[in-house]
Amino acid sequence: MAIDAAVGTSATPSPKPPMIEAHGLVKRYGTHVAVDHLDLVVHDGEIFGILGPNGAGKTTTLEMLEGLRPPDEGTIRVAGFDPARSPNEVKRVVGVQLQSTSLFDYLTISELVALFAALYNADGSPERVTRLIDQVGLGEKRDARIDQLSGGQRQRVAIALALVNDPKVVFLDEPTTGLDPAARRTLWSTVQGIRDAGTTVVLTTHYMEEADVLCDRVAVMDRGKIVACDTPARLVDALAADATVRARVTGDLPMDDLRALPGALRVECISPGDRCEEITITTDDAQGTLVGLLALADRARVPLAGLTTRQATLEDVFLSMTGRAWEDEPTEAAPEQPTGRRGRRRGGKVG
Amino acid sequence: MRSIWAMTRANLKMSLRNRQALFWNLAFPALFILIFGAVFGRGLKIDINVGLIEPLNGYGEQVAAAMSSTSAFTVTRGSQEAELAALEAGTRSVVLAFPGPGDPPAATIYSGPMTDPNSAVAQSAVREVLLAASGSALPVTISAETVNAAQISFMDTFLPGILAMSLMNSGIIGLSTAFVNYRERGILRRIKVTPFPLTSFIFARVLSQVLMAVLQSVILVGMAWALFDFRPRGNLTVIFLTILIGALAFLAIGFAISGISPNAETAASYANLITFPMLFLSGIFFSMSNAPAWLQPITKVLPLPYLVEALRSVMTYGHGLSAIWIDLVVLLGVFAVAMVIAVRFFRWDSRSA
Ligand SMILES: Nc1ncnc2c1ncn2[C@@H]1O[C@H](COP(=O)(O)OP(=O)(O)O)[C@@H](O)[C@H]1O
Ligand SMILES: [Mg+2]
Repeated sequence: MAIDAAVGTSATPSPKPPMIEAHGLVKRYGTHVAVDHLDLVVHDGEIFGILGPNGAGKTTTLEMLEGLRPPDEGTIRVAGFDPARSPNEVKRVVGVQLQSTSLFDYLTISELVALFAALYNADGSPERVTRLIDQVGLGEKRDARIDQLSGGQRQRVAIALALVNDPKVVFLDEPTTGLDPAARRTLWSTVQGIRDAGTTVVLTTHYMEEADVLCDRVAVMDRGKIVACDTPARLVDALAADATVRARVTGDLPMDDLRALPGALRVECISPGDRCEEITITTDDAQGTLVGLLALADRARVPLAGLTTRQATLEDVFLSMTGRAWEDEPTEAAPEQPTGRRGRRRGGKVG
Repeated sequence: MRSIWAMTRANLKMSLRNRQALFWNLAFPALFILIFGAVFGRGLKIDINVGLIEPLNGYGEQVAAAMSSTSAFTVTRGSQEAELAALEAGTRSVVLAFPGPGDPPAATIYSGPMTDPNSAVAQSAVREVLLAASGSALPVTISAETVNAAQISFMDTFLPGILAMSLMNSGIIGLSTAFVNYRERGILRRIKVTPFPLTSFIFARVLSQVLMAVLQSVILVGMAWALFDFRPRGNLTVIFLTILIGALAFLAIGFAISGISPNAETAASYANLITFPMLFLSGIFFSMSNAPAWLQPITKVLPLPYLVEALRSVMTYGHGLSAIWIDLVVLLGVFAVAMVIAVRFFRWDSRSA
């Protein structure tokens, strides 16, 4: 079974065989191609994110991997099994949280977890049920009925159900969509806990920040295709530009001087009249560009206002790979907050 | 096996916690029993037209006096031909003849078809008067025409009908709404990614539905027993078998509807479209024997009348399997056909795969 595993570059090439390999996956709905010759490799023990806007084909991809939808073309291996030929073997080794699935309303969390344990012929003893519920942080709610839970709590129940058979890999389809930022963060640590316990996680999201903070590797998906796949850091590094510098100017700065700034790749001006009022400089050397810009403004005695720098993010990766701007979901539960590592660092004020 | 039982138990728990379903399956038929039982079952609050065939002996006069003293009876006297003609025409509920000298007291009751609840009410009322008028001079010899020797009360004929109605509602309405709901909300898809097979899933549903039907029957019969002195007459095993087959037939129809319907609204309208006419064409609330001739064939193609017939036959008249086997075969046929449709049209998903 010689399968080319060189799809996407791994941060640390795993010695073990990949947990999931898919080659040339195609799924059509009528004439619409929802998934278009897609290849992907998921390594054992990583959190693999599929990031893409609504309708990109994330759910369709996941459901083909889970064995819920037969692909029109292509091959799939999940933990060594082909979902089309050995559906039951695949069902036993994967845990699944489907997008926007509701659960039996009239059962309590413990009853539901015990029921699913029985459906998988897994250990459904009260101790294990309790442990699973604790693992997703719902300990106090274990005897609450599903219809009394909040959206975030239901998602966590769905994740507990996905873990009930001690799967090798869990699929989480937009686990945090519709959750408020606090609930989202709680869920992230739950997912990290699952990964740390040795289970591979494949999740989909349309939140840039989530892919960035949570995922070990990210596949950026658009219109049925994976347009880039790597660690979030490398995806951003691979961009020619790694930052954007913006400023409002109230005098004249020669375009040529701006273009000659150290690191500057592209300069854009927004000029309502004939004077340049707002400049945006894309750069691969934010520090050099900034220092040069300040010196230039000083020399020309042009005051700068609202000077900001913004690190490149996955959003820029999406833009550069698809040529289209990332559009945030209108259903966004709450405004994004600036966070950690490379997360949308907006408003790095210098001036 | 463990998984099937776990799924069955979960189904039962959910059924018992679903207030809306409980209302339709239990509270609604129970209300019928209470209301109809209170109106017709005990007190004689209805007007019963009794025809007395002349000449009357002494006992006959006593009965006539007793009947005239309560407002429930309207007494008419006449010749045998005239009174029996009136009975046939439906202007008398019951006609009485008093043969012999009247000592020991004896009476003959002529009545319409027993499946008519009104007739049953009239008869039991008349019997009470006959007994009361005889004073303590027992035994009263009551011979009945077209009636078994057993005393049939209103509840005796009414309860099996209500029981059949509740089995129909929980099967057709309860199961189809629950199933379409599970499908639309993605619950079936979630089950599908477990190794639990479809056959086991359906089997668990059938099992829990049947257990609920038995529970429902016990509660409804128990209520009629405690409040209205209802006593089922037939063999308990035969009664149980009839309930079981009835429950199976209707849950299969519910399954079939959930498979055919694209969504919850359609399922609900199909379910109502099927159950509503059956409710009124099955002789539960009034006899179909007086219905116009063109309606009669319809009652022959609906499953509910067969269950009502069978349940009445065993519970009310104490008949055995030999009297109802055709009804049971028809119901089993309904089960088989509906189940084939159900499996053929079963979908895990409300969208295409
Ligand atoms: N069952 C289906 N029938 C027809 N079209 C579908 C079906 N499921 C998804 N699609 C279409 O396929 C595309 C990809 O959908 P999906 O995989 O759900 O995307 P995502 O999960 O990224 O939002 C969308 O255009 C969607 O409308
Ligand atoms: Mg989706």
